[in-house]
Amino acid sequence: MSGESGSLRVLRRLLAAIPLAAGIVLVTFALLRLLPGDPVDIMMGQAGNVSEAEIETLRRQLGLDRPIWEQAVHFARGMVRGDLGRSIRTARPVAALIGEALPATLELAAAALLFAVAVAVPVGVLSAVRHRSALDHLAMGTAFVGISMPAFWLGLVLILIFGVALGWLPTSGRIDPSLSVPAVTGFMLVDTLLARDPAAFRSALEHLVLPAVTLGAELAAVLSRVVRSSMLDVLQADYVRVARAKGVNEWRVVSRHALRNALVPAVTVLGLQVGILLGGNMIVETVFSWPGLGRLVVGAIFARDYPVVQGAVLLYALTFLAANLLVDVLYTVINPRMAMG
Amino acid sequence: MACRVIRSLRGSWIRMALLALAVALALVVWQGPGGSPVQAQAGQVLRIVLDGAKNREAELQAVAGYLRQIGVDAQVRIWEYQTLIAEAQRGTRDAYATDWGSSTFSPFDLAIPKLRTGDRGNFSFYSNPDVDRLFELASTTVDEAVALDAYHRAQRILYEDAPWIFGYYLDTIEAASERVRNWRPSVDNRTNLHDVVLEGGDTLVVGMRADRIQSFDPADHRDRDTETVLRNIFDGLVTRTPDGQVVPEIAESWEQPDPTTYIFHLRRGIRFHDGEPLTAEDVVFTFERILSPTGLDGRQSPRLGLLGPLQRVEALDDYTVKMTLSAPSPVFLQLLVHTQIVPKDYLTRVGLAGFVEHPVGAGPFKFVQGRLDGDIVLERFDDYYGGSPDLPPVGPAPLRRVVFRMMPEPGARIAALLAGEVHIIHEVPPDAVAQLERARGVQVQVAPGTRLYAIEINNRRLTDPRVRQALNYAVDWETILRELYRGHAHRVATAFLPSGFGYDETLQPYPYDPDRARELLREAGYVVR
Repeated sequence: MSGESGSLRVLRRLLAAIPLAAGIVLVTFALLRLLPGDPVDIMMGQAGNVSEAEIETLRRQLGLDRPIWEQAVHFARGMVRGDLGRSIRTARPVAALIGEALPATLELAAAALLFAVAVAVPVGVLSAVRHRSALDHLAMGTAFVGISMPAFWLGLVLILIFGVALGWLPTSGRIDPSLSVPAVTGFMLVDTLLARDPAAFRSALEHLVLPAVTLGAELAAVLSRVVRSSMLDVLQADYVRVARAKGVNEWRVVSRHALRNALVPAVTVLGLQVGILLGGNMIVETVFSWPGLGRLVVGAIFARDYPVVQGAVLLYALTFLAANLLVDVLYTVINPRMAMG
Repeated sequence: MACRVIRSLRGSWIRMALLALAVALALVVWQGPGGSPVQAQAGQVLRIVLDGAKNREAELQAVAGYLRQIGVDAQVRIWEYQTLIAEAQRGTRDAYATDWGSSTFSPFDLAIPKLRTGDRGNFSFYSNPDVDRLFELASTTVDEAVALDAYHRAQRILYEDAPWIFGYYLDTIEAASERVRNWRPSVDNRTNLHDVVLEGGDTLVVGMRADRIQSFDPADHRDRDTETVLRNIFDGLVTRTPDGQVVPEIAESWEQPDPTTYIFHLRRGIRFHDGEPLTAEDVVFTFERILSPTGLDGRQSPRLGLLGPLQRVEALDDYTVKMTLSAPSPVFLQLLVHTQIVPKDYLTRVGLAGFVEHPVGAGPFKFVQGRLDGDIVLERFDDYYGGSPDLPPVGPAPLRRVVFRMMPEPGARIAALLAGEVHIIHEVPPDAVAQLERARGVQVQVAPGTRLYAIEINNRRLTDPRVRQALNYAVDWETILRELYRGHAHRVATAFLPSGFGYDETLQPYPYDPDRARELLREAGYVVR
């Protein structure tokens, strides 16, 4: 890669992402149709009063009676025009459904990320600085538990402790239903601010705490271990020893000289996990009655609502690709030597 | 190796796209292994695979255990539900746990679609011309005694033919804060909030079992949870008491001059939430939207089947509507409960997209805001005409504000009820009942459910009725149901529900009789233990 400038590299990666995303969506398209089960049959349910003629009409109106390649061409054409089609189940545009669910998911993911970073960086650094101390052992032991704990279980335990037993925090939904504010952006924190309603903002913030902690717990655990080990490496490095020899105080050595370099592996982990935060939060959304994208997608898979699943997979694919790209770019910001290649 | 191949392709646009296309095509062409119809063979051990979804796993394992005790080689496999149904429909399974719901309190939408030859729900491939004839007679006659007799005779035949391992129905278990008054679960799962009072409060939150409802348009869904929400915003010509009796709602009264004609007299002075009066024109519009194959912006309403043999709807004057059926239907009024009246002027003015953004009905609560998958907030409609006189109190609702919250996780619903965040929760798991009954400030209430649970048998594979009877005798259902559902599951003798029309109370479910089961299997030529 020598001789290639950073921006050219980014451009190349961007271009490569297009066929990749298209390929992923096409494979999804095919896989979905291989799943046994017909969307119209499922929509009409396991119940009586449905005639075959009724089902045939609906299938025809939805274009499901056409050959699969025709459906694929139709879908691909729509995608090129930026039209993701309509949900079979709810007849609403897929883009609108995703647009509605996405802010809730992003808000939760951002809060979880914030929580994870806020916990992991200080804990990781302290564990490295106080290597093999009781604090280190306690922190890494907790992290180990955090990695092993299923989100489903953690969520319910947090609900039982902080919601039911102590009554400190709400356990479901995004805001107290008696305080609803107009939905402008879909981000509850932003909407409550726009409505200039401090009580509603507070309520939205409280509703965010338990789901964000549950979603962020695993990431915090992973991240603190990564920060700790890379910090340990860096603290042995020559330039840190030089800094210490120059008489720079220890706090400054850690925060200015070591941390910046120690963060590179952490950013890699973060980049990979951001995708998981967005895609893998279905369980947290279910446990906390949080109306987000994960639940939309899983429901759509069960209902064989093909267009919704396809649209969401496209979004996930783009998110992962973007996160990877962002990590590359961030490397060069944190450590300019990386830009050389 | 594979990694290197992919990496070498990564730079190239076209090759990547071609690869994806090839994979996709290969997948589309490959149809998956079909089931090979294996005839059960005599002179050997009976082998049977019980397929089911995760929620029935414990039950199937127990059933398989009982079958093994008499020497049947029984295995259990677990599937995603819709995959299982699709496979069962293709006839590739021996026996599988299913459930089927009824909304008319009649075999019309339960036993008939499940067991009539070639019907939509009949994927056990059971076929008996005598049963078909009796079903035909019972579902079209206007003479109730004839219908009753025909259904009773059909049940006797079904019992002998044993097309399924007959199962049970579950109670609908719901819970609420003790502050909630005048509430109980309905047989049809409806939560009628118009009549409910919340002591010391006027905002009530319902924890729904669904992760989303399907639509805000009462003509555009086929889903009970959606109906539960919408029937608080919209009213129908008739409604149902919690016990399943049809009573007047928007229609004040009706007459039936002949078996295929109904004349409905509408209540006067009913207003929609936008202030417009409700007249016969709105009623005609509501039904024509569903009858037309393109009634919903070019699409057909999925609720057409819920109109039964309805053919024509006309307004005789502003407050009189005439409905003509193509054939007599004993369940027509029960079906009518499921159609809610929409405002013609408003819907035509704002269009379908505008209507589902902000639905307007004539029900006790008006829409404030909400999404299909989040909190749906409704507010009392002060000009409400009062609702059905048969469901007191009559008048505007006592509650000021009600919220439906989508809470698909049962543990979360229970926790939220205990924490006081929600006031009514749907679908309490049977194992949680004891805990909730002990909890302070909580009431648990029960209504008989309208879904039938069974283990269906592929009658094309297990063709000998003696074998199917043996499978029924071999299982100790009382013990299974007691252990798994704590008294909230009730056995049925065949495929009829006691809450529905035509149920034969004198017919007892198959008793647990492993000796009889062995005898029947031996007669059919199988080795037993």
